[in-house]
Formats: sequence, structure tokens, C-alpha cells
Amino acid sequence: MLRTFVVTLTTIVLWALVAQVNHALATTHVYLFVGGLCVTVAALTLPLRPGLAASFLGGLIFDAAAPVAFGTHAVLFATAHAVVFHLRDRLPRDETAGRVVIALLANLGLFLAFSFVQIPRSPAPAAIWPRLIADLVCSQIFLTLIAPWFFAFQQRALVLVRAEPVRLL
Amino acid sequence: MFKRFDQARPFLTLGLVIAAWLVLPTVIKIFARASFFELTAPVSVAASYAHDLREYWSLRLHSNGELIEASRDLARLNASYDVAVQQNAETLAQLNRLEGILRLPAFPAHRSEHARVARRDFSGWWQQLVIRKGENFGIPVGAPVIFSGGVVGRVTEVRAYTSVVELISSPGVRLAAVVEGDTRTISYQGGVNPTFGSAVGIIEFVPLDIDASALHPKRLVTSSLSGIFPPGLTIGQAVKVDPSQDGLYKSGEVKLDERLGALTEVTVLIPLNPE
Repeated sequence: MLRTFVVTLTTIVLWALVAQVNHALATTHVYLFVGGLCVTVAALTLPLRPGLAASFLGGLIFDAAAPVAFGTHAVLFATAHAVVFHLRDRLPRDETAGRVVIALLANLGLFLAFSFVQIPRSPAPAAIWPRLIADLVCSQIFLTLIAPWFFAFQQRALVLVRAEPVRLL
Repeated sequence: MFKRFDQARPFLTLGLVIAAWLVLPTVIKIFARASFFELTAPVSVAASYAHDLREYWSLRLHSNGELIEASRDLARLNASYDVAVQQNAETLAQLNRLEGILRLPAFPAHRSEHARVARRDFSGWWQQLVIRKGENFGIPVGAPVIFSGGVVGRVTEVRAYTSVVELISSPGVRLAAVVEGDTRTISYQGGVNPTFGSAVGIIEFVPLDIDASALHPKRLVTSSLSGIFPPGLTIGQAVKVDPSQDGLYKSGEVKLDERLGALTEVTVLIPLNPE
């Protein structure tokens, strides 16, 4: 419960920071999406239930601020969490570089899935892809830059409340 | 057998979570959405106030000479606005007299509520603003939002002290519009927002005799059939119209104001008689 709460709080911090960056970038029509970052640590280090709950709650935070059906981000984040959790024993999850790569792949998957969910609303679905690809490229670069900080932040937050995950050898 | 079940455990749990979410009553979802929104709203609002404070202190650094020059320019602007206000009052009086003589229904009256922008979201999927006024200032859902360049959008969500405004560039926005100087109504919808470029809207059902190009754009304004919007507000510039596939009408593109992405303050028009 405590771990879920702490990871969700760190997701709120991430959401707030990215919202401010997006606010500043609005003049250039660039939008950053970092959903993959919200599920990575929870899926790689936490047990299934608290991790899944944290990813789902993180998705609800994204949903509350977006004009989409409430639960869209949450279900996508939970699905990404389940996939990463299923594969985590075969992934290099101890090194930061490995975690960054997993976060990038999760973000790519989430971005594309979310785009396919949203594209029917657009009056010109084909014309919207260049914009989405530009956003995706910017998001991946931004995610690569902030992921090491965010992983350390989440880890430190868990240590601070003495809720860090116990590694089974 | 146990190992296979263990491997499928994440997906079984996911299935249970999704099933539980789907059967959750809508009331709880609405309450949860409002709660999560209000939980994160202070972050955006506090950041917005911090921006304002930074702007205030940067303005304090201006010299007295600069302030005197700005004050002189403002005095000139105020003088011209005073004349415009007098002309406007005279025009309104004439309009009221004509409406009385011809027994025409009056256009809905509004009161203006100025609001600072707390957050801008300009994704490829949607474009919206969060403004720093909500139920505490009586802002209703659906109220039109404007700025000096014309239409901004409409209020889609109202919370305790913030509101969400969907911009006209957003694909979810549809309006009845007219080309300036014409009376025939055409359909406008938000379109694509290219990176580093102006937002673009799409117009449909344009009469065949109307032409527009990048060299000779036509101003698109709200129609009296726009519903919530007063007529005559600028939507954008029609820069391209081509015959549609059925040949009965034309369709085209509207270039929206570049300032939409940099708005810091907007005006919400609150209907005086909501009926």
C-alpha cells in the first residue's frame, strides 16, 4: 500500500513537471508524452499487485487532465505494466541503461496505442501522423534525458519511507 | 501447470482489473475524475501564479523612462478606445431601435469574465487550456471563450476554481461559420496542428462561388447560427478551397491565429439569460 502510494506520488510529480514543459512548448506545437516512464520502475521492481495499482492510478492522473474517456490512460498503463512485468526476469533491469531502454520501448508502445485510440476523432487521420511522429521523437529524446533522474527519484522516495523493494536472489 | 499459471498471472490480474473498471458505476468514475483533477489543479495554478510573480518582478526592473513612454502610448490607445466605445454605444442603440421596429429576436447578451491561463496542452490529439476561474466565478459549461484575435474555444469542464477550454483547433470542435461579407453558413471543424506551424481548421459545405487562396485569403467569422458564439467573431483565414468530391460544395482549410498557442489571458462570455 505504502509503495503504491509513494510511486503514485512520484508519478504526480512527473506529470506536473511534464505539464509545465508542455505549457512552455505550446507555442512551438510540440507535445511531450512520457507515459512509459510511469510504469517502468513499478513493473520492474515492485510486486505485481502494488505495482499494477500504482501504474493504474498513474494512468488515472493522466486521464483526469485529458479530454478522453476516464480510464483510457489507466487501462493502457496497466497493460504496459503487465507486459513489462511478464518479461522482467528476461530483461536487464538492474542497470539504469537497461531501464531507460525498457522505458523507451514502453513509451513507444503506449504512444502508438493511444494514437490509434484517438485518431478516429481527427477529421484528417492521415495528415495527423507527421505531427504525431515529431511529438514521438521529441518525447523519446526528452524521456532519455530525464529517465535516470526519475528512476533515482523513485528509488530514493521508496528508500525514504523504507518501502524499497526487496530483491530476491 | 502451476508454472504456466504463474506466467499468465500478470495478464489474469490485468483482466480482472479491467473487468472491475468496466463494471464500476459511472457515478464513481465521475467522482474519481473530479477528485484526481482537483488533486492536480493546485500544481498548475501555483505554477501559473509563480509565472505571474516572475513577470511582475521583471516588469519592476523597467526604468522610469520606459514606464513614462508606455504610459503615454497607453493614454493614446485609451483615447481611441473611448471614441470606439461611444460609437459602439450608438450602434447598439440603433440596433435595439431596429430590433424593436422589426420585432427581431435580440442576440443573446453576455457578460465578460477575464481569466488567466494556467496551463496549455497542445498535443496532436487535442488542444486545450486550463484557466484560473471556475465555479467560483459562475462560469458555465459550454460558454464561449474569446481573445483579441477572435474565437479561442469553448468551456468543456468547470471545476471548483479552474475550467478547461477546448480550443477551436481541436478536432472535437465544430462551428457554423460564414465568410466575411457572405450570409451562407458553412461548417468549420478543428483540424491538424503541425509542429512549428500555424494550427489549421477544416471547412466544408462552402458555396461554389467562394474562392480563397494563400495569396487572397478570406476571413472566416462565426455565424449567428453558431449557437453559443456571438456572430462576427474571427475564427481564422480561409487559405484554400477546392471542390469536394460530389461537386456540390467546396471544402478547404482555415489558418488559425498563431497566438492561440501562446495565450496568457482570455475572456469567457457568460450568457446573461442561459435559456
